[in-house]
Amino acid sequence: MKPRKLLRIARWEVQKNAGGLDRRTVAITVVMIVLFAAVSPLIAAGGVGLEDGIYRVGVDEDSQYYGVAQSDPTFEIVAGADERDLRTGDIELLVDGRTIRVADSRKGSAAYSEFRESVQRYNNQQLAGEANQTAAFPVEVTVEFREQSDPGGTDGQTDDGTTTDGGNGGDGSGGTDDGSTDGGATDGSDGDTDGGTDGGETDGGSTDGSGDGGTAGGSVGSAAPTLGQDQISGSPADISPPFPFQSLVLAFVFVIPLNFLIQAYGSTMLSERLNRRGELMLVSPVSRLDIIGGKTLPYFLGAMAVEGVIAVSLFYIAQGGLGGAISLFAVMPIVLLFLSATFLGAMFARSFKELTFITVTITVVLTSYAFVPAIFTESGAVALISPLTLVVRELQGEALTLSAVVFSTLPPLLTAGLFFGLGSGLYREEDLFDQRSLPGKVLDALAVPISRPRHVGIMTIVLIPFVFVSQLLAIALLFAVQQVSVQLATVLILVVVAVVEEFAKSLHIYAAHTHNRFERTMRMAVILGIASGVGFFVGEKIALLAQLVGLQEVATAEAGLSGGIAQGPILLLFLLAPLMLHVVTATISAVGAKGSRRSYLAAVTVAIVVHLAYNLTVVSAVA
Amino acid sequence: MIEARDLRKEYGGFVAVDGSTFSVDGGEVFGVIGPNGAGKTTTLKMLAGLLDPTDGSAEVAGYDVSETEMRHHLGFLPEESPLYEEMTPISYLSFFADLYDVDSDVAEQRIHDTLDDLDLEHRHRQLGDMSKGMKRKVAIARSLINDPEVLIYDEPASGLDPLTTNYIIEFTERLAEEGKTIIFSAHNLFHVESICDRVVIMNEGKIVARGDLDQLRQEYGETTYHVYTTVELDDSIRENGRYRAVVESMDAVDSLRSAATEAGGEVIDIRTEESSLEEVFLNVAEAGTTGDRYVEEGRQ
Repeated sequence: MKPRKLLRIARWEVQKNAGGLDRRTVAITVVMIVLFAAVSPLIAAGGVGLEDGIYRVGVDEDSQYYGVAQSDPTFEIVAGADERDLRTGDIELLVDGRTIRVADSRKGSAAYSEFRESVQRYNNQQLAGEANQTAAFPVEVTVEFREQSDPGGTDGQTDDGTTTDGGNGGDGSGGTDDGSTDGGATDGSDGDTDGGTDGGETDGGSTDGSGDGGTAGGSVGSAAPTLGQDQISGSPADISPPFPFQSLVLAFVFVIPLNFLIQAYGSTMLSERLNRRGELMLVSPVSRLDIIGGKTLPYFLGAMAVEGVIAVSLFYIAQGGLGGAISLFAVMPIVLLFLSATFLGAMFARSFKELTFITVTITVVLTSYAFVPAIFTESGAVALISPLTLVVRELQGEALTLSAVVFSTLPPLLTAGLFFGLGSGLYREEDLFDQRSLPGKVLDALAVPISRPRHVGIMTIVLIPFVFVSQLLAIALLFAVQQVSVQLATVLILVVVAVVEEFAKSLHIYAAHTHNRFERTMRMAVILGIASGVGFFVGEKIALLAQLVGLQEVATAEAGLSGGIAQGPILLLFLLAPLMLHVVTATISAVGAKGSRRSYLAAVTVAIVVHLAYNLTVVSAVA
Repeated sequence: MIEARDLRKEYGGFVAVDGSTFSVDGGEVFGVIGPNGAGKTTTLKMLAGLLDPTDGSAEVAGYDVSETEMRHHLGFLPEESPLYEEMTPISYLSFFADLYDVDSDVAEQRIHDTLDDLDLEHRHRQLGDMSKGMKRKVAIARSLINDPEVLIYDEPASGLDPLTTNYIIEFTERLAEEGKTIIFSAHNLFHVESICDRVVIMNEGKIVARGDLDQLRQEYGETTYHVYTTVELDDSIRENGRYRAVVESMDAVDSLRSAATEAGGEVIDIRTEESSLEEVFLNVAEAGTTGDRYVEEGRQ
């Protein structure tokens, strides 16, 4: 690879596309980007005020309710309104002295309900402004929403097992910080599914925090005390469980631009293939990596620039200063994953129609991968599957551990590398301009690097990140099912694991046979099966990363990621058993792969059943 | 300058090129002809390093075709050369000059000189707005941007109007006169005949004939003798006050001469007519693919 030529191709890519855009398109694009950049932080910060002025209230300036109506933008004050306006529907509420008259309509009832809440908030604000806060709030309760488990270590648990969370204000009235109540307890790490409830119950500090409480300090009436919001006081009735609105919006803000970006990127890659446009570049003295890198670089930098603006803007709104570096770093694997999947898709597609189908699939799958776990940021470790969780946590001012960053970013990074690698294998004359079907292209991509049996094992290892990401995505998607039935979610994840892993171990063997890479003999099938099984076993240990951050505490994750860390004399069994499983099932599939497609599918089905039976046995034994 | 040794290309079970062996000397114009699907383009693409041979090897300008350095010495013009239509000829050629490491000053001069030679106007118009002939001229200019010793032109005049076709053929002849080594493939055998020193004829992936044009005619063509006499003979036709008979051997000519004398007349003119390359090609194609029939025995 020659950087100078790569950069020249990148510059050409920009010039070429700029030459194809007229001024009007450029202007519209710029306006859309500016609007998006301007509106997104506002939405993330709490909305754009779509409900402003939807209720009209007639109230005199000398009324004690005037301040209430004035303080709530939901209400529009109508001066000089009277009973007739209420009847004609020109106003919904009429304040008559100490009496509030309500229009006889559903909107009137809704306005009254809202007005009551506004009165409560107004009163709380008035009390909050009092000089004597003890008189204003004789009883103060700090509510702390805790994660079921906190792999990032943000709960303040110290090395000696004591906890310093919650009430570290030290007024001495509540729990102690000497660990006497829960010192040494490993709540959340012992795998108990009830770990999520003991965090807020037994920690001594949970009832006495006063002012300088823990990092996840409580709030009443507000789900997420972030993005510059002050704590709001209120009555216990205002307490509601946290709804991840901001997590959802933040994840959304970061993912949306990528979906637009991949449309342009996919188009430019596919256009090289249509009408053989890319042939002349292939015959020039540049490597295919220069071409791919050069064509990808502008889109990568563009995406990072947009994400950078969003990250810095949001960080400024949330924390009031410059920052967002971790967010930008965390977003990078997502950007690369989107680009690499699109690149591979563009290598597979035969027309823009097919490319549209592929990019829509990529959008749905990768948005789910990035988006769904991130909205559980405040709910549990499962959120760390998505790098966007790091973004949300940084913006919410939470600490991040190195292991959490590695766990979130490494699998998508490796998967992006895998996709780029497979796609670049197809970036050559005989595949680039070929009109074979999509499955045929997939087999081509897998078969290109394989010419010897050991390549099968290496390819299996290379596919591990994809397997891992697929399983993480399944875990994230089945997280909701787990809330209903852990057993059902566990079985479903075991099925997904078996299917994904067996195809990952054997599809490239079948692809190699379709390209006549190996003899179609039983002996060769066994050799390839062993190579793939051993390769998978070696690569699978990457899954241990999950255990660094305690993801296995999510029951489905534990099932999906091959159980916990074995200890003592059974360690050997825990190492040998999966090795045997992978070798046996890979060999079963390899035997089928030397025949027809039908025989391969039959064999891989048998392998999946064997794998599933093994997983069920292991999970039952562990349980 | 070009050496191909047992080049073979398979796509799955399909053999596109089966053991092609030939060489091209420096400064030579070498033609590759054959029907559609004969393996011409596949052979040229293997020589250009675009396709990896399933078996065999090839060298161009002293480099193995898999080496990147080889491409600095090669100008390749594919049968279809769709351009980046958003670009202008100048920006397009400048971009490729950069890829070929041509110094910017040299590139600028070379671009203008080549476009002058090709008589290409509207150099700042977007390529998408140009005619097919103009686009082809830009593609040819691109193949010359690195001033290569070897040119591989696959159907350079395919689909162009006769005027542009003639222009491009003449331009290719001028390149040959400048000493470029050219491999040239064309369906129009008249073009091949007019500029090629030697040709190979391919059919179903194999080279079925090769040699210079005289050798090919001798081997696969026919020489006919048109004998004009003052008297009517058997199978002769009257033509402008004399009689013409067509025979295919000198023995037959001698027989006609004797017959004319016996009839009281004489032979007044004998003209020979040789097969065109097209007729040679048709003869070879009709002969099928019974083997690689070498005209130049022992030549590699």
